Amino acid sequence: MSQRSEFEVCGVVHLVRPIGRTATDLASLRRGILEVESASLFFHAVQPPLRAPASSDLPPDDFSAWVSGVLQDFETAERLSFAAQRSNAGTDVLRAELAQVLERPGRGVGTAPAESAFAFRAADSVPVPMFTAADLPQLFDGLGRAEASAWFYHLVEEPWCQGGELPLAEFVRNAGAPKLATRLAELSQTGLPLETMRREAMRTWRRSQLGGRVARAATTPEAERADDARDAVARLARRLVRGRGVS
Amino acid sequence: MKVHVRRDGPSLVEGYRAVVGDGPIQMLEALARRLKGRRLVMVNSTAVGGGVAEILHRLVRLLDELGVPTTWEVMGGDAPFYNITKTIHNALHGAPGSLSVDEHRHYHEINRRAAAELELDGDLILIHDPQPAALVQHRREPGQRWVWRCHIDLSHADPDVWGFLAPMLARYDGTVFSHHTFVPPLPVPAFLVPPSIDPLSDKNRELDADDIDALLLPFGLPASIPWITQISRFDRLKDPVGVVNAFRLARSRVKAHLVLAGGSADDDPEGAEVLAEVKHHTAGADDVTLLVLPNDAHLVINALQRRSAVVVQKSLREGFALTVSEALWKRRAVVASAVGGIPLQVLHERTGLLVHSVEGCAVQLSRLLRSPELGRRLGLQGREHVRDNFLHTREARDYMAVFAALENAARADEVSVAGV
Repeated sequence: MSQRSEFEVCGVVHLVRPIGRTATDLASLRRGILEVESASLFFHAVQPPLRAPASSDLPPDDFSAWVSGVLQDFETAERLSFAAQRSNAGTDVLRAELAQVLERPGRGVGTAPAESAFAFRAADSVPVPMFTAADLPQLFDGLGRAEASAWFYHLVEEPWCQGGELPLAEFVRNAGAPKLATRLAELSQTGLPLETMRREAMRTWRRSQLGGRVARAATTPEAERADDARDAVARLARRLVRGRGVS
Repeated sequence: MKVHVRRDGPSLVEGYRAVVGDGPIQMLEALARRLKGRRLVMVNSTAVGGGVAEILHRLVRLLDELGVPTTWEVMGGDAPFYNITKTIHNALHGAPGSLSVDEHRHYHEINRRAAAELELDGDLILIHDPQPAALVQHRREPGQRWVWRCHIDLSHADPDVWGFLAPMLARYDGTVFSHHTFVPPLPVPAFLVPPSIDPLSDKNRELDADDIDALLLPFGLPASIPWITQISRFDRLKDPVGVVNAFRLARSRVKAHLVLAGGSADDDPEGAEVLAEVKHHTAGADDVTLLVLPNDAHLVINALQRRSAVVVQKSLREGFALTVSEALWKRRAVVASAVGGIPLQVLHERTGLLVHSVEGCAVQLSRLLRSPELGRRLGLQGREHVRDNFLHTREARDYMAVFAALENAARADEVSVAGV
């Protein structure tokens, strides 16, 4: 694969559309899962974290939420939820694992009334270019401010669509930060809430810069170091004020 | 007729930025860059009154500030046309109704005249609801993208009236509905874009405690016990009698006061009838207050929601029920029926509590009144959920994304045709 000299960071909007298929019990849910398009599995099992990006308590996937909330089959819901957490393994694996759970339903099996049926939907992605980074400082400066959908797109959706490939980590690796690239790849597999992923990634980036900063500071005149320190405090204060502003 | 939207006062983009933060605004700006050079025209049938006009006043200005030049055209008509569109509206909601051949002809004639008069020379045309739906037949130009935005629930639409409308909709590039259950079979793409609330409006903006006291003082509501409130017009589908029954069951276990607040029922004979039933059902009860509010009592509704311990929406059937998002935005604990668009807003045990019966409603009301901490947690998560999913900024984002997606699809088609 050719090395990119620039990386385009995208946010993403998911346009949701109905696909005209419903399920009222576990058997019809299983048939649906086996037959619906990949964009539908994506919407119901992969996309939910983007609906509550700042939450530390991940929203459940739609399948287990319905089985638990409507069919009240909590055992099957738990197993579905566990299977959906393997969503980073790709469409085929996810489809097979969800279907396997539904092969052996738990207790409390029932049929939902028509008005509470599970309606399969699908999401079409509209990637939206946010900025282009030529190097790592630009990349992480922009990512630090980017909205959650940019993190979702690069750490969750791209690997899902591209068979596990992570172009963001590849750019970081090629830019000379292999450990940081590995950490990003690990994060993309964790299924952590998006805000936690962002915090972890940014912390790793800042740590990776510490050695260089200390080395530079050792040869910097005292007055300049004092200016830098004042700037750093001012930045921290701004961050704190901003944080309070949106809380 | 072109509507001149107010553009004075502070920037709307900055107003929303203060509420939603930088990220979502960056996304709007990025989408606007993607639509650079395109002009958007919104078309509906009224500039005042109703939720669609309310949101258009905001969206037109917001999109314009973001750099997507946006204008708003209102289609006029005569008395027979309004009678026809009223019949269409009611029939799409499920009431029996039919249109004569002459009425079909008149509907098309008014649309044809409007197509000649309105400034529909934008690149992206967003038509709202059935009244102007036929404009696409009379005025579509090459290169334009036309989208029909349906704000009403078509799940029980009368087949005859739907049969009249459907061929027009087939001429659009795409359609937009609020909820998946509202979508009829159509030969063009259908997208789901839930409606949204305006955090800067009088109904939703922050109020301080003194303002709330002053707004609620005239109603003499008890200050020392928690209030359970349902804000809805007096309509059987909102089940006000069911709310009273649930309240009575809960009241036998915990102390509370019930407030049922709804719009004036003067022009709605059934509303007046339901109000009379509720009055009869609560006669002599000093722990229930019925408030009949004027249609513009937005600040009072805001204050009522903010002062309530629990907001209820125990509807038997619903469209989207944005009153739920309004309450969640104010960090209220919400108990609501799992119907229509409510389960999208109330995620059970996460942003509120879903119920299916009078008894279930009573149980959850008691639970919340006994455990204010649970209410606080649900309220906080509810506000975050609304911030992420049900504010005008998200609706503006989705409309821009729909047009971006349609332009992409059109480009892909051109490439594939050229390839052939």
